[in-house]
Amino acid sequence: MVSLARTIRSIRRVGLREWWHQMQYIGDAKSGRFVGKDQFGNRYFENLNPEEEIPGRHRWIDFAQHDYNATQVPPEWHSWLQHIRKDPPTEDPVMQNLSPPWKTPWVENLTGTRGAYRPYNTTRPKYEAWEPKSVPRG
Amino acid sequence: MSLPIFSSALANAGRRAALRPQVGVYACRKIHSSQSASSSPSTIPTYSTNPAEPITQIAKRGSNQLSLETPSNKAEYVLSTLDKIANWARQGSMWPMTFGLACCAVEMMHMAAARYDQDRLGVVFRASPRQSDIMIVAGTLTNKMAPALRKVYDQMPEPRWVISMGSCANGGGYYHYSYSVVRGCDRIVPVDIYVPGCPPTAEALLYGMLQLQRKMRRSRKGVLWYRK
Repeated sequence: MVSLARTIRSIRRVGLREWWHQMQYIGDAKSGRFVGKDQFGNRYFENLNPEEEIPGRHRWIDFAQHDYNATQVPPEWHSWLQHIRKDPPTEDPVMQNLSPPWKTPWVENLTGTRGAYRPYNTTRPKYEAWEPKSVPRG
Repeated sequence: MSLPIFSSALANAGRRAALRPQVGVYACRKIHSSQSASSSPSTIPTYSTNPAEPITQIAKRGSNQLSLETPSNKAEYVLSTLDKIANWARQGSMWPMTFGLACCAVEMMHMAAARYDQDRLGVVFRASPRQSDIMIVAGTLTNKMAPALRKVYDQMPEPRWVISMGSCANGGGYYHYSYSVVRGCDRIVPVDIYVPGCPPTAEALLYGMLQLQRKMRRSRKGVLWYRK
């Protein structure tokens, strides 16, 4: 719910510099509890007061990179951000104890770079494309 | 919206200048090769937690794209800035031509509806190919439909992009071995974005649109023209 009072309240809480940053990247003046920071430097916030943030917009992320996209969120924080788990991974004992040993470091979507995923096939094709052959007329 | 674009040009100039000497060293290696990274003498990191040099930057080292994005003189600087302005204008109003062929079209409609609300990205469905710049091929492309698809694609004005949506459009999918189905719409038209799924969720298609925006932002037609 964008209102002048809410904007001014948010600016008073987060400061002018942070407000300007928010307007450039989030497009809204938001203020809330700082929940944590992941290994990439993305910051996560929460505001559970329905008077201040509409329910559904009450958890948000401030990306560290200028060229941001949703795959920069690691899976632990994704599950908090999308309400799969109630507690953030910094406070969630299940998330902290059940990290499997085979888990690799999180890598964002590399589409469009040289690290992009390229599928390949190792089996023989099941059909052969038609190659037209013309017999010269006698 | 235009402000971060200009500030990024300044901020990235310094970052790319730091990366500049390394161009060419890793010219013939991918970061996700099937061989282990330890076999090569100098290893490239496969992940990065540094927001100043993210993994996408590392993966671009030594590529033509990075070279295009790094202006080497004043004319290229002007042209790349003009390119960025054109890219910004293009990515802000993507009008897809809907080529709904099967059940994927229902998910495509969901992308337009209230929950995923494509209009907040400036994506508006346009029923005429002459006024649209993206074609979303949603569904099974049959042999009978293929000439019509090509005709509609040819009627679209440049620049144009194609999103192939769903397994059937990507590579035939379930109907791969059918006698009457084209095994992927990339046999008919050049495809920019492949959205996997059967059918892909509206969320996946929207993410595909965002990836297409990324692809549009990478375009450096002016610099390419100047270098030639």
